[in-house]
Amino acid sequence: MPSVTAYMILGSLLFALGLVGFLSRRNLIVVFLSTELMFQGVLVNFVAMGSLRGQLNGQIFALHLLVIAAVEAGVALGLVVYLYRRKATLDTESWSGMWG
Amino acid sequence: MTAVDLIGLALVVLLGPLAGCLVCGALGPGFLKGRTHWAAILGVGSAFVASVLVFQRVRGAGEAGVPVEIELYRWFSAVPDIWFSIGLWVDQLTSLMLLVVTGVALLVVIYSREYMREDGRPVRGYERFFAYLGLFVFSMCALVLGGNFLLLYLGWEAVGLCSYLLIGFYYDRPSAAAAAKKAFLVNRVGDFGFALGILMIYLTFESVDFATVFGLVESGVDAGGHALTSGRMTLIALLLFCGAVGKSAQFPLYVWLPDAMEGPSPVSALIHAATMVTAGVYMVARCGVIFAASPVAMTIVACVGAFTALFAATIALVQFDMKRVLAYSTVSQLGYMFLGLGVYAGSAAVFHLYTHAFFKALLFLGAGSVMHAMGGVIDIRKFSGLRRIMPWTYATMVVGALALAGMPLLSGFWSKDEIIHAAFAHNRLLGVVGLLTALLTAFYTFRMIFLAFHGVTKTPEGVHAHESGWWIRWPLCVLAAGALLAGFVGVYLHGGGFLGIFEPEGVLHRFLEPALPAFAAGEPHAEAAGHLARFGLMYLSGLLAIVGIVLAYVLYVDSPMIANILARTFPRTRAVLQGKFFVDEAYEQWIVRPARSLGYVCYNLDLYFIDGVVWLVSDLPRGLGYLFRVVQQGRLQGYGASMVFGLAILTLIVFWR
Repeated sequence: MPSVTAYMILGSLLFALGLVGFLSRRNLIVVFLSTELMFQGVLVNFVAMGSLRGQLNGQIFALHLLVIAAVEAGVALGLVVYLYRRKATLDTESWSGMWG
Repeated sequence: MTAVDLIGLALVVLLGPLAGCLVCGALGPGFLKGRTHWAAILGVGSAFVASVLVFQRVRGAGEAGVPVEIELYRWFSAVPDIWFSIGLWVDQLTSLMLLVVTGVALLVVIYSREYMREDGRPVRGYERFFAYLGLFVFSMCALVLGGNFLLLYLGWEAVGLCSYLLIGFYYDRPSAAAAAKKAFLVNRVGDFGFALGILMIYLTFESVDFATVFGLVESGVDAGGHALTSGRMTLIALLLFCGAVGKSAQFPLYVWLPDAMEGPSPVSALIHAATMVTAGVYMVARCGVIFAASPVAMTIVACVGAFTALFAATIALVQFDMKRVLAYSTVSQLGYMFLGLGVYAGSAAVFHLYTHAFFKALLFLGAGSVMHAMGGVIDIRKFSGLRRIMPWTYATMVVGALALAGMPLLSGFWSKDEIIHAAFAHNRLLGVVGLLTALLTAFYTFRMIFLAFHGVTKTPEGVHAHESGWWIRWPLCVLAAGALLAGFVGVYLHGGGFLGIFEPEGVLHRFLEPALPAFAAGEPHAEAAGHLARFGLMYLSGLLAIVGIVLAYVLYVDSPMIANILARTFPRTRAVLQGKFFVDEAYEQWIVRPARSLGYVCYNLDLYFIDGVVWLVSDLPRGLGYLFRVVQQGRLQGYGASMVFGLAILTLIVFWR
């Protein structure tokens, strides 16, 4: 049985991977997947923390977040589809109309 | 005569021209077009008919029935119990002025039917012209009928506005636009004094109604019952006179009137000769009680009038623009009127106003007829011998010129002579100035006539010279008849008078007397001056008129060589006169240019300092925005990186402690 620290390192790694993906990839879907990855890293941390303190709070919270993430994924993918229809591209660089 | 009766007539006098103006303005451009003059003729005509009826009623009422005060409605109150009302005041002076104003206006409107056309087609702005004329007649009647100083001032400013609009009628000509602006601004100077005078009257008498003010002045107390000081009365009178100096083009402020000739000729005839410029004379005559309370003011009025009369007459000697000669002549004749007022000859001044309206309107309309025929050229060096081409215009203008010159038995003679006589009885120097001016008047008037109508027939190149049509000839003939005969209402037949039959101070004077009570006291009577001196003066002024005419004939028809020699002998005098004493240049140098510099300074102060402060207020947030807008790159990953960066800093802060 690996220690809680190991789980937390796993969670941090997942978060860091997602962050790097988020900052470096230009495909909208991959960027979105990266955010999901960061999400999962946070969930792992929640569960690990919960087991460290011997409570179920962490796991319940994680289940909640999974549902919310599913819903959010639906909305986000819908937006991606919509954006794709507008410009027929998934490049994040082409959506920079808000520059000051 | 009942007041109710008069209200109706007075309202017709006021509303007729106003309705004409509105119809011309509203229906003219789209519907009436070339027929617009009918609306104006009907409007002004109804006012004329009503004026005649008012005159009859006033005559019929006699001394007891007038003045009639009519309060139409209460306008507003400044403090409780002091009301400013729209009120009319009808007396002999009013009714005579109404006759002059509406009568001349009617003829001018009829005349304009043809004058404002080129080759039979209405000029651009034909409808606008008649609308303005209607508005002018309305304003002038309001000025004359007004029963308090507020209405007087209202009409005063309204006629000034109409004058401005009509001088600038050809607004696409820069000279016309400049002349209109000049007239308005110069009048502003006088009107400022006038407004102050009215404020002084209000402060002193707590009322601006003629009846109240004149009553208090006559009893010599102000609103609080304190005795009036002569200083205060002098101040009020002089401030009022300021307005008259501006409106009636007297010495320091006369400069706008010659330039006002840029307007169409009918306008010059109506506004700048017969009616509006006499508003100042009317006002001083109306406020005679106030002026008579201050001998100093009366002296100043007389001196300004006498000086202006002589001064303008000398300038008129050498002008070549026919309308400008007449304009200076108008200034000079208005000077006569003020001279008359200043020497307590109120009825003589009003008599001169009345005769002057006929012959000066006639001369201006005649000059307009010449200008119309010459294709807009009015320089008397460019044409001559027109009497063969334009016999009607020539004949009527000679009648007008004779009347202006003071030819015995014509209208101008009677009225001018009375003023000269009164001036003589008052002060010998003023009388001599009056006589000298009479000589000059005869000379310059006939110089103009001889240069334009005599000699070899010559017209400007490319102009088909022709006599004007009946719409122009007819008003000329009516006015010529007036110039011939109007003077006879001022005399009566009596053995032993002038030429053995004419005695001055006739019907008109006895009619006017009740309306001009203040002047009666100081008015010299024929007896006082002595019969011989009285009629000797009449013969003398008649003789001077004839001498002036003969002199003009000798110099400009018989032997023009003499005129040339004279011009060459006195080149400096001639240059000064031709340059109009360089008064315009002096004003330009000492008043206009400093004022313009001041305006330039203020403009720049506004542009750079005040605007600068305002811009600073708006530029500060804008600059800050410039600084921070770079943060908004608009890139998804950019925002992500910023968030990570911020998070990292927060984390460092948390863990470093």
